[in-house]
Amino acid sequence: MDDARVAPRLRVPANRVSPRARVGWTAVAVGQAAVVLIVLGLLVGVWNVFDLPGWGWLAVVIAALAYAVTMPSVRYAVHRWEVTADAVFTQSGWLTQERRVAPLARVQTVDFEQGALARALRLATVTVTTASAAGPVRIEGLDRYDAENLVDDLTARANAHGGDAT
Amino acid sequence: MTSQPSDEDVLGRDADWRRLDLRMLLVHPVNEVVRFLPALVAVFFVGSHSGGDVWWHLVAVVVPVALGLLRFFTTRFRITPAQIELSRGLVSRNVLTARLDRVRTVELTSSPIHRFLGLAKVQIGTGSAEKSGDAKFALDSLGVAEARSLRHALLHRATAAEAGDEAPVDPVADGDERLLTFDPSWIRFAPLTTGGLLIVIGALAAGNQLVGPAIERLSDHVDLGEPRHLGLTIMAAVLAFVVVISVLSIVGYVLTNWGFTLARDAAGRSVHIRKGLLTTRETSLELERVRGVEIHEPLGLRLAHGARLAAIVTGLSKKEAGSTALVPAAPQRVVARTAVELLHEDEPLTIALTRHGERAVRRRFSRALGVGAVIASAWIVTVLVAAWATLWCVLGAVPVLVAIPLAADRARRLGHGLTERFLVVRAHCFHGRRVVLERDGIIGWNLTQTWFQRRAGLVTMTATTAAGKQGYSVMDVPETQAIALADAATPGLLTAFLTAQPQTSRR
Repeated sequence: MDDARVAPRLRVPANRVSPRARVGWTAVAVGQAAVVLIVLGLLVGVWNVFDLPGWGWLAVVIAALAYAVTMPSVRYAVHRWEVTADAVFTQSGWLTQERRVAPLARVQTVDFEQGALARALRLATVTVTTASAAGPVRIEGLDRYDAENLVDDLTARANAHGGDAT
Repeated sequence: MTSQPSDEDVLGRDADWRRLDLRMLLVHPVNEVVRFLPALVAVFFVGSHSGGDVWWHLVAVVVPVALGLLRFFTTRFRITPAQIELSRGLVSRNVLTARLDRVRTVELTSSPIHRFLGLAKVQIGTGSAEKSGDAKFALDSLGVAEARSLRHALLHRATAAEAGDEAPVDPVADGDERLLTFDPSWIRFAPLTTGGLLIVIGALAAGNQLVGPAIERLSDHVDLGEPRHLGLTIMAAVLAFVVVISVLSIVGYVLTNWGFTLARDAAGRSVHIRKGLLTTRETSLELERVRGVEIHEPLGLRLAHGARLAAIVTGLSKKEAGSTALVPAAPQRVVARTAVELLHEDEPLTIALTRHGERAVRRRFSRALGVGAVIASAWIVTVLVAAWATLWCVLGAVPVLVAIPLAADRARRLGHGLTERFLVVRAHCFHGRRVVLERDGIIGWNLTQTWFQRRAGLVTMTATTAAGKQGYSVMDVPETQAIALADAATPGLLTAFLTAQPQTSRR
């Protein structure tokens, strides 16, 4: 469109997540691919539900590999976050991408969470919830140390705004 | 009884514990007897066979009545200036306390038994997130007058002290402004609501799928060379189905909506809704909690110039969210008039909506035709596999042909607008909606783009809010338009993240 240069656009949020998040996403992707291959193996090899020729197997394996290789790097390029004095802004996803903005004045809770995999990789997820069930803002794959600082920071800023957040 | 706080004297008359209405004694034994009915039947059977054990008969009759009495004597409630307390139970005493300023809705329900006895069950919605049902305030039952005065006291706590005496007798009390009165002619809209329509369409679709086999089956009995037989049979079946669905939806509509009345109290602080043929339901909503309205215009209703109106209310739990209907299926002008009354302005309804442009229109068509094509190919494959007459393949054109007007309607309806106070969104065909959401109620934005949307430069933007569905989406807006809309609707929120530079590092 012609007005694209004049009309304001959303810039990308300032910060990337931790590079180690790629390792986490790769592990998840490998796990998912393994599940698909095992189920397929059972269906074809054990229960004989249908037949899969050699090239079919090749295609499935290539697709799984492509997924495990591209998804983490695309996610790493997309996943970004930023906190200003007034708002938190994130960008996430890979095929379907989402940007979320929530004002700090409306923040209700700030959650810090770490799964087993995340702990092994020293990663953490910070979730900021508002009064709307549709609006939680999640920042996945943060460095654990950064995440802790972010939680403190967000809590302090949200408190500074006060109000009942609805 | 003994656990009253020591500051009782300070709280005055309203702090006194109150009991349920004595007449509830008649409701509860009946309810308990109904609940014990299986046991009662068993008792009588066992009793008559084993020579009549009087003891068991006695227990079966006395226990329900005793339970009702127990409930009456152990349930007490009181309103203090700050909160309402409900005390229940004999052995395990359970005291529920809710702050008065957390009271969102008050609902009075009267089943036919309640109505006969002049009683009403009072349910107080505090919008709490608790999942267990018994955390909800329910007083079963009070006299209708007392229930209404209680409602008045809860919703307008400033005047709570006097409310006990001057109970409004009519649900629409003096000074209340009546916004809507039920008109029996609205019943004509009942079969056209989405539910009814979907069933009819489903029936037609199923009929379509069955045509092939039905014809094979029929050809054994009826002379298929005589097309009249075939046509008549199918038409009769479809007609019967439509009639059944219509009757059912009319019965449902009459039962829930008969006598629908919407009134606003004189001070303009809350609206009262009364409806129901057998079981009547009176709901009160605090207007302060109303963040906007949704006009439902599903395809069938829209074709008949009908619509429905619902409120977008904050702090209702999912279960309570059903109690926000403001106008049942009714003529469009009635719905529009009521919406204007409630919003105090007509701009959200009359504003010229911004269209979403050519790419959004193209997306409607490609999606509708895509779905149509899938159904069509499935049908054609079915015909070929089942080896029916190849001519039946022609029917595969139906979903594609139907998809075109549907896509056109969806494309035509896509639109959004912004007034001084409201964000207005219109979308969907079958599920037609015009959402009018207060801009003050928007607490964030989610901008979602699928891969296809990114290629088309479109965004689905969701305004998040604490009210109603929690998020209201504007579908397929051109990206620059979307950012401008979000920025205008919530000034300041996006400012720090805007740039005049074209974006490079994404995608």
